[in-house]
Amino acid sequence: MEIAYYPGCSLHASSELYDIQSRMVFRRMGVELKEIEDWNCCGATSAGKTDDFLAIALPARNLGIADASGLAEIVIPCSSCYSRMIVSQKKLADDPGLKNTINAELIKKAEGKIKISSILEVLVSKANSGEIAEKSIKNLEGIKPACYYGCLLTRFPCDVEIPDSVENPQGMEIVCKIIGAQPIDWSYKTDCCGASAVINDTDTSLLLMSRILHDAVARGANCFVTTCPMCQLNMDAYQEQVGEKYGIQKRLPVYFITELLGIAMGFSPNEMQLDRHFIDPFGLLTELKLI
Amino acid sequence: MSSQSVVFKPEISKPLLQEVMDRSGQNVLACYQCRRCAAGCPVGDETGVTPDRLIRMILLGEKNEAFNNLLVWKCVACYTCGTRCPNNIQTARINEILKQMSKEAHIEPLNPKVAAFHNAFLTSASHFGRVNELEFMSLYEIQNTRSELKRGGGWRAIVDKIKDRAKLGISMMKKKRLHFKLDKIKGLSEIKRLYAKAREKSVDR
Ligand code: SF4
Ligand code: SF4
Repeated sequence: MEIAYYPGCSLHASSELYDIQSRMVFRRMGVELKEIEDWNCCGATSAGKTDDFLAIALPARNLGIADASGLAEIVIPCSSCYSRMIVSQKKLADDPGLKNTINAELIKKAEGKIKISSILEVLVSKANSGEIAEKSIKNLEGIKPACYYGCLLTRFPCDVEIPDSVENPQGMEIVCKIIGAQPIDWSYKTDCCGASAVINDTDTSLLLMSRILHDAVARGANCFVTTCPMCQLNMDAYQEQVGEKYGIQKRLPVYFITELLGIAMGFSPNEMQLDRHFIDPFGLLTELKLI
Repeated sequence: MSSQSVVFKPEISKPLLQEVMDRSGQNVLACYQCRRCAAGCPVGDETGVTPDRLIRMILLGEKNEAFNNLLVWKCVACYTCGTRCPNNIQTARINEILKQMSKEAHIEPLNPKVAAFHNAFLTSASHFGRVNELEFMSLYEIQNTRSELKRGGGWRAIVDKIKDRAKLGISMMKKKRLHFKLDKIKGLSEIKRLYAKAREKSVDR
């Protein structure tokens, strides 16, 4: 089976490990991720915040390429890319004038055919169909993740139907439980880590991250699990600084969902490039004899 | 709270209100000040101004206040306010529009770094069609240093900041999370056309 795939800039750069892991985990389940040809940057938050036209037009080019691929579904692991593509598809459908203006500049026209899925949406369906369980050889009992969704997976700047609860989503919990992990219940699963504010308004972002870390620790989580490369990088690369500044002693490894799945499916830390984490990802796995 | 009475002058309020509503697509008039937005806003404590307050400023035509408050510049676009608003008002969109309007009016931004960041990102995306994090961060730092100097900021502060950034860069490098290859797309001419269209649209305004 083939699904169209949009990695986006993060997965080609700082979060390349997530790209590698996604392909591995899906291939194991018999799904080939077909990267769409010659895709461009979706504009991310920057276009969204500063240029209303580019915010719709940049993702539209990718949507046109995806539509032309003939595949029925496209999976987008990065939450920001996912959000921008969904919003663009919706705006184009609502505004035929804008759609014509943009399509006039494009070689492959955005037609609005392809179904846009987050990586979580696809994984939940694989959990429910039994395909994840079937390919898993290790039980992750003892892993107690705080499932961290962040902002963009459930909240959109316009009306969008999502397949999970907005305030208390459960998709990641469903996937984690299938492989034996024991996700904890907590209050900050959809809170914001500050995303790019970590660069241009660092103190605000550190404050937001401190609340997230604090609650996860207080609830007894022993790691975070996330699907968003920005959430992962922020919580991973800045956790030390956050902990120091706000007096939180404990450090929690920040796993991509593909890493927990990969461990369950028997991939080695090396294959998954776990050495590219900031907070030690090995200790917990070794302690639980998972690696 | 002061007991100062609120003055409403339609001839002052209307132009601002209308422009914000048209450009953001948000029905600001529907706000009934229930403050559900305020309860969920993660930066509200810091900014002092919460979404409901900002909306009130717009309704009253308080242009200066609406442009120069921390919420507009610290909003992290988490969309919590809009998701919870019973009237579907997305304050994040309003914040975006207010930033654009203040730029058009040549008002010095409260946090120039936010503007520099997004400019640098979009510039980088236009060069190759994909963003190279290294190129983009360098563009951002150059813009920042320039505006810091223009505002009379001392060298010391700039040097400290660059050192900080270098520290992060080095740890990113150690973790092999920096990427030196430039990804250039074949359809760059399409991207250039879209940017040109975007410029046309902003001149129309
Ligand atoms: S939640 Fe909506 S209606 Fe209530 S105060 Fe906020 S913007 Fe106004
Ligand atoms: S989108 Fe902005 S204004 Fe709204 S809750 Fe989030 S930070 Fe606050």
